[in-house]
Amino acid sequence: MVIVVAIVAVVVAVGVYATWLGSRLDRLDTRVEAAIASLDAQLRKRAGAAARAAARNPAVAAKAGLAEAAHTVLQSSGPRDEAAESALTRAARAYVEATPSADHSELMAAITRVQLARQFHNDAVHATRALRGRRMVRLLRLSARRPLPAYFEIDDVLAS
Amino acid sequence: MRVGLVCPYPWDVPGGVMAHVRDLGESLTELGHDVAVLAPVVDSDGPLPEYLTDAGRPLPIPYNGSVARLLFGPVSFARVRRWLRAGIDGDGFDVLHVHEPTAPSVALLAAYAATGPIVATFHTSNTRSRLLSAAEPLLTPALEKVAARIAVSPAARRTVVDHLGGDCVEIPNGVAVARYVEAAPATQYGDGPVVAFVGRVDESRKGLAVLLAAWPRIREAVADARLVVAGPGEPPEEAEGLDGVTLLGLISEEDKAALLRRADVFCAPNLGGESFGIVLLEAMAAGAPVVASNLDAFRRVLADGRAGLLVPTDDRPALADAVIGLLGDPAARADLVTRGTARAAEFDWRSVARQVLTVYDTVAPSAGHPVVTLDPTAAAEPSELEPAD
Repeated sequence: MVIVVAIVAVVVAVGVYATWLGSRLDRLDTRVEAAIASLDAQLRKRAGAAARAAARNPAVAAKAGLAEAAHTVLQSSGPRDEAAESALTRAARAYVEATPSADHSELMAAITRVQLARQFHNDAVHATRALRGRRMVRLLRLSARRPLPAYFEIDDVLAS
Repeated sequence: MRVGLVCPYPWDVPGGVMAHVRDLGESLTELGHDVAVLAPVVDSDGPLPEYLTDAGRPLPIPYNGSVARLLFGPVSFARVRRWLRAGIDGDGFDVLHVHEPTAPSVALLAAYAATGPIVATFHTSNTRSRLLSAAEPLLTPALEKVAARIAVSPAARRTVVDHLGGDCVEIPNGVAVARYVEAAPATQYGDGPVVAFVGRVDESRKGLAVLLAAWPRIREAVADARLVVAGPGEPPEEAEGLDGVTLLGLISEEDKAALLRRADVFCAPNLGGESFGIVLLEAMAAGAPVVASNLDAFRRVLADGRAGLLVPTDDRPALADAVIGLLGDPAARADLVTRGTARAAEFDWRSVARQVLTVYDTVAPSAGHPVVTLDPTAAAEPSELEPAD
């Protein structure tokens, strides 16, 4: 009898704990999704700002490859492309360095927002991977059906 | 944008975090946003601003080397939930911004109780925080809901990275420059030179003892000098029997601004544990030349000594000589005032609040209804929060 009660108690405790861990995993999934949406939106805005900057100063922009890099990002319909985004940062850097007297406030603001969105995204990924790595989470196979989120790593710093 | 700010420390006890929350809230309001603040209150009969909700009376707890008044328990949890549900005009919040959520406080409770776009600002730098390390398993469930983290200084950022993992955006503290520029200088301290100290007088890391020990030497060199000490706490015994020392105790923000406007030298002899040094910026905004300990945080705010004099930490003769030197050199004082005023302007709240808004924009969907809601799983969680010992 005592053994049965003890077993039931352990099963209930594990169940409650698993439910709680599951709700944390759900919350983190929501956070990662929101961070991805924000990151995608900011990357798109940055490409738009770069395209507008290129249109204002076509000769310099062509030399820096800015219009082309912005176009590549804006035309892509697939998943976020780290290489293309890094290329856009490099082109923006070359463009800003070549036009020191122009007004870059829109482009600069867009670049700052990408940095923020990327950091918040990677933070959410970090927290998710940390919880997924916990022994109990793996043992209870709580995240077996969820894909593991990936970090998004690009060169996004304007100052070289 | 509808913004909910949560301050872990009492609204009616002056402190760096409380002033940060108040000034951030007022700057956001000036920029056209709707702000509500939740904070503990010691004396609920005192005057409170309309945007403030009283979370209850806090209990003194030793925290981070000082006595913090924090608040934690089922009653405050209920108040936190009610405040979150109401939001702005019963309409909820677009962003919940909690401050210092690592302290056991209403800020941590709010992070537990809510879900949605949550922003957290970390103020403390404390690299040896055993409390933080020990509490990590309790903090993680709340902190992993935070979508964006801000640290007010490199030291605060390092503390977060070391203890909690992940990273932080760095946005400095702001100073409400206009409030200090517009204040009328205090007139009650006579015609002689005034040296001002602002901070808790019974907290050794604020360094008042060093200044008091240096004072006889300063007074010997400048006979009509007056030391005005403002700040709450039990004054140390050393202060008694010293000539030319005025102890004001806790003073209002208006009186602090007036004192800083009047001061010929502002002295910050702190021994350590400072993450930022907001009071230095306030002194510079008020046009007081600053003499401060050579701490990392102070060196940064004083632009490596260009905006104020840095003296070795806990060095009485050096402190005395720096103060005496400045009191006898009006040109050097004027020079420091010019550079200090320019430095303070860089930290004006108007620009700092815009940086915080950029963070809000990044985590909160721009269109639509309020998105901060009560976490359905949180009601069962407070038991998890009971102290482990």
